[in-house]
Amino acid sequence: MGTVYAKAEPGESEVGGGLFEFEEPIELDEEPIPKPTVKLGGVRARVDRVHVDGLNRTKDDIIKSTVDDLFHATDFEDVILRAHKVRRALDSMGCFRDIGVYIDVSSGPGATPEGLEVTFQVKELSRIVGGVNTTVSENEGNLVVGVKMPNVLGRGERVQAEYSMGYRSSSNFSIAATKPYPHKPLVPVVSATVYQQNHEYPWSGYRLLDRGLLLDLAFRTSPATKHNLQWEGLVRDTSVLSKTTSFRVRESSGPQMKSLVRHIVSVDRRDEPIFPSRGVFVQFSSELAGLGGGVAHLKTELAAQASLPLTDTLSVQASGAAGVLHDVFGSELADRLYLGGPASLRGFAQRGVGPQHDRLATGGLAYWAAALHLWAPLPFVPPRAGLGGLFRSHLFLNAGCLAAPEGGAAAWQALGEARAAAGGGVALRLGRVARLELNYCVPLRALPADRAAPGLQFGVAAHFL
Amino acid sequence: MPEFQLKDSVITSLNAQEPWPDNVKLFQPYEVEQILLPDNASCLAVQAFLKMCNLPFEVEMRWNAEFMSPSGRVPFIKCGAFVVSELEPIVQFAANKGVSLCGRLSTEEKAEMRAYMSLITNVLVNAELYISWLDDDTYNAVTKVRNSSVYPWPLGWLQTRSKRNAVAKRLKALHWQEKTLEQVLSDVEQCCNSLSQRLGDRDYFFGTPTELDALVFGHVFTIITTRLPCRKLAETVRRHETLVSLAKRIDEQYFKRP
Repeated sequence: MGTVYAKAEPGESEVGGGLFEFEEPIELDEEPIPKPTVKLGGVRARVDRVHVDGLNRTKDDIIKSTVDDLFHATDFEDVILRAHKVRRALDSMGCFRDIGVYIDVSSGPGATPEGLEVTFQVKELSRIVGGVNTTVSENEGNLVVGVKMPNVLGRGERVQAEYSMGYRSSSNFSIAATKPYPHKPLVPVVSATVYQQNHEYPWSGYRLLDRGLLLDLAFRTSPATKHNLQWEGLVRDTSVLSKTTSFRVRESSGPQMKSLVRHIVSVDRRDEPIFPSRGVFVQFSSELAGLGGGVAHLKTELAAQASLPLTDTLSVQASGAAGVLHDVFGSELADRLYLGGPASLRGFAQRGVGPQHDRLATGGLAYWAAALHLWAPLPFVPPRAGLGGLFRSHLFLNAGCLAAPEGGAAAWQALGEARAAAGGGVALRLGRVARLELNYCVPLRALPADRAAPGLQFGVAAHFL
Repeated sequence: MPEFQLKDSVITSLNAQEPWPDNVKLFQPYEVEQILLPDNASCLAVQAFLKMCNLPFEVEMRWNAEFMSPSGRVPFIKCGAFVVSELEPIVQFAANKGVSLCGRLSTEEKAEMRAYMSLITNVLVNAELYISWLDDDTYNAVTKVRNSSVYPWPLGWLQTRSKRNAVAKRLKALHWQEKTLEQVLSDVEQCCNSLSQRLGDRDYFFGTPTELDALVFGHVFTIITTRLPCRKLAETVRRHETLVSLAKRIDEQYFKRP
């Protein structure tokens, strides 16, 4: 066992840096693990000391337990691999930027013959990071002002506040506090969010004003399996968009209180989330509302995706989604399930499938949807390099159905009335979280009441069918 | 939330020419456990008006009638694809369909009727709001309980508080908030005086029933029949026997069916 030297150079704090740097810190996955040309596996080595330079307000105990792993290394290759792992762990704490690793032979008193010294050079994020940006969504443009306080108490805790103002006098805000426990079993992360959200749904003719509190406990039971246990309490105010809105929509206006528990489990074994070429992703969420409040229902939704590479660049992807809502009392339009739109069933207008009232979607109680894609790089562009890596082209065939069945045999019949569309287009990756799709769609099967959208369709979303 | 759009009102007036359908519904809050004094008065006034016009309608009670209404106030009627709220727009809507109670009145009489109607909305409605929301006894014993009866805890508390603030703001803008109960009652007294003087010993204000009679009936009948901890408002109105007998007459004639 060696010693950990933390806080080597005090006074190296920096002020004002990192403004506008609102994204999660550095992406490390791209960086290849150094491939030794000399065989290092046999070289015996042990770590005598670990230095972490640049620490200021981060607490020692959390750093100690993170770097502890290094002292168990027995040969040089092991040291490198473990140093890489520690670097990743430090990065995922979200407290630092620019983490450098230096390995040197140890010298000075107490040095052993095979001893090494590992130095991590880190820069702490400044105490407060702010940003102003504008976003444009389907309905309006917004000005977003955000303030983030990373590492407030020195153990990776985060407080984040965001306020956005739309030109239609809608204002949203959220304040979230997050506390990670990186060294507890199951790596739990606890967070609490207070929010107010204003959202218009012109496809259904209503506007929602949600004010609520969300408590979330996230933990992992395996590296690929993530669970979220949530409690959410909210007051939502529904109002209609215009005087001529369908009476069916008008009936659901008024304030309602909802209290619910939700469990989301997802297993992600894909090689990457936006353009996966191999692997499986499954997400199952169940929501039980009615612990107090005026809305009680049970809602379960399942989404799955599997990709398989055909050749070096071609891959085939199958995905499916299904959901059921069991209403006990008080479930209104905002609770119901919807289908259709560029991110769900392509070839149909947003919420364009299923029960409609005066051309406004009123939602259903059960749905299923499935899609088959053939993904390829853009033609004539080298697939991996530069711009080519941001784009993919695809051909798709998707089908689905949304119904408000009464139950029994009628339910199965209602869910058998599948709608289908096919087409092709290009997709563009937006960072690591979302993608943008431009497709030409041909609806193949639609019911007269559906709002099919043949031709070009454009969509931005984090998750596509 | 009020929504007024030119397009909507043009469409409303263009399409309103068709005759009165049979399936008209009047939406209002629950009478037994929810409705408050001012809302009850205006719901009763609209009902009386429709009955005077002999227009068929069905009353439907909804907990969220106030939020369903396009103007945010009750009552409102649903007539085919149209929703029209509050007495005066409903009177206008019926007139577009060729049903009017004041067709034979002269222009001066119509103007006089308008004046009395706005006197009622300016005095009686504000007095009802004052008693229900700003008089502490009535607020605690009646308004708070009834207004929050349709919501789960703690939404009822939040809703009642925000509504009380909204009413206080409205009354403040009209300089009613700073009045004492005595001042409010003397305003009511004056309003009733001028109404009963105009009524004289006639059966109705203008000989035959008009929307003014419906409005007076709605308010007077509600005020004298609603039991509140603060009885002074009812006592003040009750002193004007001609108004009380007008309310009773309309009640007998239009609301009591054997």
